[in-house]
Amino acid sequence: MFFLNYMFSELRRRRGRTILTALGLAVGVGLVVMVNALSTGLDNAQASVLKPLTGVGTDMSVTRPLKVTSNGSGGFGALSPAQQKQLRKEVGGGPGVAFASLKAGSKIDTDTFRASGDLTFSSSELESISRVKGVAAVAGSLTLTDTHLSGTVPKVKITQSQTGGGRQGRGAPSFGPASGALSGGSIKTSSLTVTGVDQTKSSLGAVTPSQITKGKYFSQGGNAYEAIVSTGYANSNSLSVGSKVTIGGKTFDVIGISSAPLGGSASDVYVKLATLQKLAGYTDQIDTAEVQAANASDVTAVSNAIGKQFKRSQVTTASDLASRVSGSLTDAKNLASKLGAALEVIALIAAVLIASLLTLSSVAKRVREIGTLKAVGWSRLQVVRQICGEALGQGVLGGLVGIVVGIAGVAVINALGWTLKATVASPAGAGGGGPGFGFGQAASSAITAGSTAVKVTAVASGGLILVAVCLAVLGGLASGAIGGLRAARLRPAAALRTVE
Amino acid sequence: MPTTTQPAPTNNSAAVEALGAVYELADVSKIYGSGSTQVRALDSIDLKVAPGEFVAIVGASGSGKTTLLQLLGALDRPTSGRISLRGEDLTTLGDRELTRLRRDTIGFVFQQFNLIPTLTAAGNVEVAIATGKDSAQQRADRVGELLAAVGLAGRANHLPSQMSGGEQQRVAIARALANRPAVLLADEPTGNLDTKTGSEIIDLLNDLVENAGQTIVLITHEPAIAAAAGRTISLKDGHILADSATTSDRGARRRQTLAG
Repeated sequence: MFFLNYMFSELRRRRGRTILTALGLAVGVGLVVMVNALSTGLDNAQASVLKPLTGVGTDMSVTRPLKVTSNGSGGFGALSPAQQKQLRKEVGGGPGVAFASLKAGSKIDTDTFRASGDLTFSSSELESISRVKGVAAVAGSLTLTDTHLSGTVPKVKITQSQTGGGRQGRGAPSFGPASGALSGGSIKTSSLTVTGVDQTKSSLGAVTPSQITKGKYFSQGGNAYEAIVSTGYANSNSLSVGSKVTIGGKTFDVIGISSAPLGGSASDVYVKLATLQKLAGYTDQIDTAEVQAANASDVTAVSNAIGKQFKRSQVTTASDLASRVSGSLTDAKNLASKLGAALEVIALIAAVLIASLLTLSSVAKRVREIGTLKAVGWSRLQVVRQICGEALGQGVLGGLVGIVVGIAGVAVINALGWTLKATVASPAGAGGGGPGFGFGQAASSAITAGSTAVKVTAVASGGLILVAVCLAVLGGLASGAIGGLRAARLRPAAALRTVE
Repeated sequence: MPTTTQPAPTNNSAAVEALGAVYELADVSKIYGSGSTQVRALDSIDLKVAPGEFVAIVGASGSGKTTLLQLLGALDRPTSGRISLRGEDLTTLGDRELTRLRRDTIGFVFQQFNLIPTLTAAGNVEVAIATGKDSAQQRADRVGELLAAVGLAGRANHLPSQMSGGEQQRVAIARALANRPAVLLADEPTGNLDTKTGSEIIDLLNDLVENAGQTIVLITHEPAIAAAAGRTISLKDGHILADSATTSDRGARRRQTLAG
């Protein structure tokens, strides 16, 4: 075929121009491949961050957060009388320290359990949640903060502490273990968060078998005093599988270490729910219901239905969680979706522009040649076809080089080992707390604020590469059309021009 | 000379007689621009070219030679007047017909050779027949014949940059003859060549006229080349100043030139 022969001769023998045009398109196409691959990589990174909540079967969690406004001291007063009563009971209740009875030199060794921010509710509520249409499974959990006091009451401090102690002992909500009189003495305080999980529903809950990095998950039945500790708590307290941990005066065997994934519950210690309820005096009380929807697409509907039926509750779904993910991962994702798209468009326009200008300049340099073709009997269509064919050839070449550039770019991105931070914020409304309240761990028990680092792996898929080649070919065609139109307008008399 | 598998139109004297003149120009004018910048490049030209004639058009630059060649080559249209090529009125034909005419009836030879630099000698000849209906094999055979006819059988795969000026112009002549044109138009074909090579090219053209009855119209400003042609037309300011056909027996002049 003569036309192909001519086209390849042009591409081969005008190497500089061919390479320049192809490179222009290749850079554009390569950028598209890179930005898209990076965008896919960021999507994957975000998915891996959200997986702890979305991947283990829990579609949403139901809590009853304190609706505390953040406007000054009115926090407690803003609650309904019933809520105030319950809060007093929960925060001030339990086996607190009887300060009035403390004597100098007497030993203290006591535990105080308090709810960690959400109001508790009866586990019988699980029944009604499970009857909501679309709910496949529901499991309860209870997260408490255990403050442990131990040591000897120092002499000097006691008299001071005794006078004020009576008032404190009345169970005002401002109760706190960090009271100056106590912490200043030789009394040691330590606190940990402990979550009771329903081990019979292992796929739902604050800790699941898939999170166990060492040891094993709770036994069904069997020893009631089994504990799983989080990696962080295990590290800071030198615990490992087989160690003992004391909670509320009872000794628990550490049977497993769990990774504390972002977005999941990040308690220090996990024990069986029944054991914790009994130990802390929260019989039949839970503060979170983990719900699994029968169908992933029903999550929103189920969430609304539960919210309607279960008054004053807050239903947190996985997508709510996604909206609270922030940090460099989110910044990068926003950047990729906004700047990345702009970059792609600019790169493509620039590439097509470069290719078009080079084709135009090539046509301008070949005015006499094109005139000659017309003078020896080539029709306008045949001339345009020739110019377009050459531009198309450059487009295909540019596309192929662009794939190489793109894949190389992706490889470079991956070799750089770019790590991004993702932070999950506390749900709005549940955090903060009024100034008068001692809610140190006021985060939702289902979703804990925290951050994690994710390595970004850019992914160049086959479909993406196909799109890139198509873009390059279209770019080549566009430049060919522009050059061809110019060539079509040339008069055959141009063949007689005496100057090159 | 082109081996004829079918009789070349210009070789068939019966056909030539039936068609009459190759060119017939009547009151042809060409005006460029308008208003005060208007240039009258050709002014009311009347001209006839018979089959088998070798016509040289001479004149100073700006005399209208190139404009006349463009009109004869169907590369441009006159502002007024009528040009017929073998009985077809060029001024009434559309672009498509003019393209067909340029391909089948007219062969062009340029001063700068106008070869396509990326194509070999064979490729450059094939350009002229690539748009036709011949098969690849037929085209290759024809290209071989043509290159052999101009004495370049061994140079088929050389690029223009690898050939001398004379060789390049031979390739261009082979290209111009590829479609067995009724007329060969040449624009100062020796203008870029040294005297010796130039006279070789003129010998080649003369040979075509003598042995194949090829009609040739060429532009030149070299008196020696004009003398080689059977008929000389002098142009000045768009007018025909002199035409040797009207002043002497052109057949005698041609014989005289060839003898010398």
